[in-house]
This record gives sequence, C-alpha cells and structure tokens, in this order.
Amino acid sequence: MSQIEIRRSSPITLRVIVYGLAFLFSFPGLYLIWRNFTEESDPVGLIKTQRVLAPLWRTFSLALTVSLTAACIGTMLAWFTSRTDMWGNRLWRILLPIPLVFPTFIGAAAFIRTMNPGGLMNRMLDGFGIETVIEMRGFFGAWLVLTLFCYPYVYLPVAARLRQLPQSLEENARVLGQSAFQTFGRVVLPQIGSILAAGSLLVFLYTISDFGAVQLMRYDTLTRSIYTNRLINQPTALALSLLLLLLAAVIVLSERFFSRVTFTSEETFTGDPVIYPLGKWRIPALITVVITLLLSVGAPMLALGDWAADGISRTTRGGSPLTIDRGQVLESTWNTLSVSVVAGIVAVLAVLPIAFLVSRYRSRSGTFAHAVVIATFAVPGLLIALAMRFWILRTDWAFDLLDNTKALLVFSYIVRFGSLAMGIVLVAVAAVPKKLHDVGQTLGTKRTPRFFRIDLPLMAPGMGAAAGLVILSTMKELPITLLISPLGFSTLATRIFSSFEDAFVAEAGIMAVILVLLSFVLTWFLVIRKADHL
Amino acid sequence: MRLRIFFSTLLTALLIVSCGGGNSGTIDGRAAEIYPPGAEKCADSNGRTVTIYSGRTENLINPVLEAFACETGTNVQVRWGASTDLALLINEEGDKTLADVFLSRSPGPVGYLESKGLLGTIGSETLGLVEEQNRSASGKWIGFSGRKRVMVYNTDEYSPEDLPDSVFDLTGEEYRDKVALPATNGSFIDWFTVFMDVHGKDVATKWLEDMVANGAKYYPNNRSIVEAAGRGEISMGLVNHYYNYQIKASEGASHKAENYDFDNDDIGSLLVITAATILDSSENVEASEDLLQYLLSAPVQQYFTDRTFEYPLAAGVQANETLPQLTALEIGSVDFDKLGGGFEEASRIIEASGILNR
Repeated sequence: MSQIEIRRSSPITLRVIVYGLAFLFSFPGLYLIWRNFTEESDPVGLIKTQRVLAPLWRTFSLALTVSLTAACIGTMLAWFTSRTDMWGNRLWRILLPIPLVFPTFIGAAAFIRTMNPGGLMNRMLDGFGIETVIEMRGFFGAWLVLTLFCYPYVYLPVAARLRQLPQSLEENARVLGQSAFQTFGRVVLPQIGSILAAGSLLVFLYTISDFGAVQLMRYDTLTRSIYTNRLINQPTALALSLLLLLLAAVIVLSERFFSRVTFTSEETFTGDPVIYPLGKWRIPALITVVITLLLSVGAPMLALGDWAADGISRTTRGGSPLTIDRGQVLESTWNTLSVSVVAGIVAVLAVLPIAFLVSRYRSRSGTFAHAVVIATFAVPGLLIALAMRFWILRTDWAFDLLDNTKALLVFSYIVRFGSLAMGIVLVAVAAVPKKLHDVGQTLGTKRTPRFFRIDLPLMAPGMGAAAGLVILSTMKELPITLLISPLGFSTLATRIFSSFEDAFVAEAGIMAVILVLLSFVLTWFLVIRKADHL
Repeated sequence: MRLRIFFSTLLTALLIVSCGGGNSGTIDGRAAEIYPPGAEKCADSNGRTVTIYSGRTENLINPVLEAFACETGTNVQVRWGASTDLALLINEEGDKTLADVFLSRSPGPVGYLESKGLLGTIGSETLGLVEEQNRSASGKWIGFSGRKRVMVYNTDEYSPEDLPDSVFDLTGEEYRDKVALPATNGSFIDWFTVFMDVHGKDVATKWLEDMVANGAKYYPNNRSIVEAAGRGEISMGLVNHYYNYQIKASEGASHKAENYDFDNDDIGSLLVITAATILDSSENVEASEDLLQYLLSAPVQQYFTDRTFEYPLAAGVQANETLPQLTALEIGSVDFDKLGGGFEEASRIIEASGILNR
C-alpha cells in the first residue's frame, strides 16, 4: 500500500473520448437548466418554501435510510452466498438479483396486495387464526419496499468483489485465531469499502428518483411533487427537478471525496477465494436469506402469480378471453431481451474510458465525467426521456439519423443506467494490480495487447456484474421506453403498464411472471456463470 | 449441471409458451367484433398513414385501431403512454411531433395542449357527431366516450341503502375515516374542477377541507382504491365507474366491492369524457378526421359500451344495460370548455387541503 504514485499525464485521445461521453451524459442536466431558464422558474425562491422543504427532507431521510439498510442486507447476503458454506448457495445467487426486475409501480402494488389488510397473506394467516394489522404505507411502507427492491444494487457488485479478494490476508487472520465474523469485520470489510459505498450511492440515488413505490405507499417526496405539478405547473416541476439533481450532485461528490480519503487501492486476485464454515450460524444465515427472498420475491410473485393463474384458468374455463395474444407476448419478450442486452453491453463499454481516466490517471476531467454519469441516476426517467427528445429535435443531423430508432432508445437507456455500470467498472479497473502492468511494460508488451491480456481478464467479473445490473434495470424501464421507442415497439414493461393501467390484472400478471422468468435465465447466463468461471 | 438442464428447459418452455398467434392481412379477435360481419379480408392500402399518441391503453383501444386499419387500408402507428406524459412529450416536440392524433383519458391534457396552441381545428362534419357539450366550442377537441364518477364500497361493511344520496353527506360523522379520494389522479382533478364550476369555488373548497377533517384517506389512483375496497382495507372511495367491472371480472368473488351511484343530479355522479384531438402540425388531416369519425361510428361506440363499459357519446347508441343510467346533469349542463383554466386552480386547492398527507 505504500507504493509511490507516479502521476502520468493521460493520453489525449482518452481525454477527448471522456469529454465527449461527459457531454452526452449531461443531456438531462443541461435540459433541466435550459428549461428552468426558458420557463422563468424560480428554484432559489422555491427552496425557502415549506412546500419544498418538507418533501425535500422526506426524500433525503428516506433515501438515507433505504441506502443504509440496503448496504447492510446486500453485504450480508453477498458474504453468505459467495464466501460461506451455506446450503443452496448456487440457487440463492440466481434468485437474489431478481427483485431488480420488478417495475416498482406493479411490484409495490403486488406487494401491497399480498401484505396489506385483507390481502392474500392476511387471508392465509386468518385461516390459521392469526390476525395481522400491519398496513404497508407511508415512510415504513416506502422504506420496506424500496429496500427489498434495491438491495441488489449493493449485493451484486459486492458479491463479485468478494470472490476476487486475496486469500493471504484472510488466511493469516484465521490462523491468528480470528473467527469468520471477526475476519469479515477487520479484513474483508475494509477491502470491499469502496464498492460498497458505490453500491449504496446507487440505492440512494434510485430512491430519490423513484416515483412508483412512493406514490403507492402514499409517502410525499419530491418526485411526487414533480409528478403532480408536471402538467399544471411546469415551472415548479422543472425547478423541483433541478433541486433533485443538485441534491444528487452534492451526494455524489461527497461520496467521491469520502471514498478517496478512506479507501486505499484494492488489488484483485484470481483463484478460489476463502470459504468459511458457518458452524452454529448456519441456520440463522439461512433464515436471513430465505426471509429476504420471501419478502422481496415471494410476496410480489404471490400476487402476480395469482393474477396470472386466474387469467389462465379463466380462459380455459371459457370466460372472457385475454386481451393479449401469444404473438404479442413473444414480440415483447424478444424486444425486452434484445434491447436490454445491447444496452447492458454498450453501457459497460461507454463507462470504461471514464473509469480508466479516473483510476489510472487520477485526472480531474475524469472525476467530473464520473460525477455527471452517476448524478444523472437521480433524474426520473420521464425527464430523461423528455430531455433526449428535446435535444434530438434541436439537432438536425441527429434528428435525421436517430429519430424514431432503437439506437436513440438504447442511447437513452445508457444515459439513464450508465451510472449502474460506472461504480463497479471503476473498482474493477482500479483492482488490476499495477505490478502486473509494470511487468508487462518491462517485457515490452504494447498498450493494446496489454489491455486484452492483463486488464480484461481481471476486470471481467466486475464488468459482468455491471452489465447484469444495467440489463435487469433496462428490462423493467418504463417512461423512457414509452416515450422514446420507435412507434409500435413494445416491451414486457410497456405491456404490463398498459394492462395494469386499466386493471387488466390477469394480463399484467402473466407478463410480469414472464419478465421475472426471463431475468432468472439472464442472471444465470450473464452474471453467475461469468462471475464464476472467468 | 442439474441447474443447467433446469434452465435450458425453462428457456425452451418460455419460447414454446410465447410461440404462435400474430396474424396480418386478416382480422380476428376483438377487432372482428367491430368490423362489419362477413368481411374477412382487409382493404388494400390507401396510401395514407395516421400516427396516434394514445393515452388510452392498448388493451382497450387497439382492437378499434386494428379494425380501422383493416376497413380503410390506412397505415396506423401508435405510441402508447400516460396521457399527461404524452401531452408533455408533444409540447417538447412542438411542430416536429410525429403525432397526428392525440387520444386522452381526460380533458386535462388536451386543455394543456390547447393552451400551448398546438391543436388544429376539427372539421364540422366530425364535430357534429356528438352533442355540443361533449366537444370544445373552439372545435379543437371532441369527446368520444364517457366515464361516470361513482363511489365504490366494500360489500361486507355496507349495503346500498346505508349509503348517502350526495357526496356532500360524506363529510358527516358516520363516514369518519371511511372514504378514500384519488386526489392526484387526473380524472379526480377534472371532476373537482367541474365541482368548482358548478357549485362555486368556496363550496368545493369547503367540501374538500371538511372531507380532510373527517379523516378522508388519500390514494394515488382509482385502481388502488377499487382494489383496497375489494380487500376491505377501506370502506368506500370516489372513483371512475369502470375499474370495478374489470377487477370483478378477473378476481371474482374474492373482490368484495360494488359501485354505488349517487343521486341523479349530484355532482358525485358526473360523466367525465375521454377526448380526441388533431395536432396543428399534422400533414395527415384527412386520415385523422376519418379516424375520429370512425371512433364515433356506431359499431365502435357499441364496442366501447359493451367491452370497456364506457358510455357512448355518439347519437343513437345505447349504453350497455349493466351500466347505471345517465341523468340530466351528466348529459346536459357541464361545459368542459370552461375547465381549461380551472385545472391549475383545482390542483392548488387540492394540494392546500392537506389531503395528500392523509
């Protein structure tokens, strides 16, 4: 850790590429600033009013609580499933990322349907003579649902990182008589610190951008004010959105500062990580995992599966037919799959140059680009869609090239979700040992072959996890898909929305179940296999 | 290894389940109900295209659009979305918008676009298809179906005899903590705007404040109120009439809620219309007019009332017999034109009442 830092100046091409990327990612921010200007809104005057301060405080406290809880749960689950001898680990690894794929508007509604008074869960418990009166709403409801749906933002990258840590330190600790838990606290935790901070930051930013869950839980945050004002009082909605982005920028910059002074470089290691026997903790650990999964996947799936099963049995009984046919479902499934996989891969490639500039060259422009990419995650999808449309329409060549194309859709997804890849890819790049680079350079290997032979194999698990996060999030994305996609293009999420809006719950249930199955298969192919075998 | 086999099977099953269906050139399913009987082949292309931004959902409207495309040979393209978001999108797009026609769930988003000067004028032949009060006096938009405001209630707790004649009675002690309001929902805001127009701003504001003082609960939309009433989570709530039909159809006996219709001339049983409009920038005005007329044709209006449980607006089509009867207030006295400026004020009053934090 006491290496001498040699400050190398970054290659000019890399810097130019990063400036270009930062510009593209700043579209939503520039749009907000510009529209605030043209609508003559007054964000400064607004901030003093109680109308803004109260929701702003609620947004902040909810985001802070959710991100802290998700950090604890995510890390714990990652450690149990990737570093202990817990029973069923391969299965848990496939199931645990699933909550990411529930669009919050239907996930939260399904969760309410299972858990609230008179819901499926209540009726079942009533059968056993147990009465429950917990109602999911307000701060508690929003906190619970968002934590359950967001912990994978922490779990996935931390698990990927845990499988890469050097054995030596942990083995020494064990030899010196430390228990598995002590080793975790003293040796492992400091090494996963920066990825944990990056993941928790994503949870924080997602929470401030979320509308679906807070709306259904009836918790009055800043996004709800933005949504209720968006048509009737545009200047206010735009000013509030700008405040949201500023809040995000402050949080992102402080995380960056905090991470830089707190965590030293973390080098990677290939080979099998240490596996701890859980001993008497085996049962409590297993119960933690099962309860998390029952709440985050089981509860919504119970309601969605019930709707789907009702719909299927209704048609076989000869009741009113479903309003979707197989051809439409197949088409949407394929669209969902293809567009999200492309977005996942391109997103990782897009943030790679920024990650290189930040970690290898410690350059200021890199840090700026990094902050832009991450802070954009706090902007609600609707505003990203409007921003993309706004800029495309004002640039003739871009309009001719991109209007009404899937390319524009993928581009918008990347602006929305590039942040998910950014933090993880940054840690993956930073984790490539400098020693190996120096050796490669001494042996006369050029930069490009060095990248493919040394960097890429070592970064692969992190990049896989990053792509996985983007893919699962893109699969459920709604506002951008509705407003930016080419005419006539539908995904599972848009069809779920369309069915659910007018209470065609059977159709919504069937497509939500397909979405979950699809993410199940994808997680296995893209995240688990890659992370295990590369 | 076993996992691998499991997943391969799952993937294959998924593909098999999703295969099949998808016809073109002929008409089938619900669209065929609208298309004249006996006709099986679609018309040849007439070289026209119409692009629709639809805030009405695909499940309800797509059969109508398919039938239109088949019958006329017009190429129909659609962007589906929430009415409010689509209106914002059209505003951003300005005269470069792809949209020729915008279909809205409620008058609010259409009023917004009118205030931005983005709407063209609909031809008098089309406008003449509905009664005067169901279209804009400026000829900028036209209603094509109606949704009635009702009160949904839990059948375990209440029977219709125990429910009040008027929304004004809901502020009484016997309904303390019982009533849910979808206060941020577009159709509720529309309704409250008319309420302010009919009874005056002070009366409407007082009613809402009394409701809040009486423990009214806030829910984000109609659907979540109907679901909650069906579970028994709440006793009753003010909603659009047709959600209960859909949810009852899919949930059956476990959904314990019914619609209740207020007294004939009570503001609580207002008819709110869905609106169609043609954008000023449209270069496909003829095809757009054809589409609007098609929406108001007898077979389509019949489809709306039989299949989506809405009220037909075109002359000569009777509402489905399972729907509550319409009364004088609903089909006569409300001038939706006046609402244009009222939405913002209505929303301000709703927000100030404190209902959103209940």
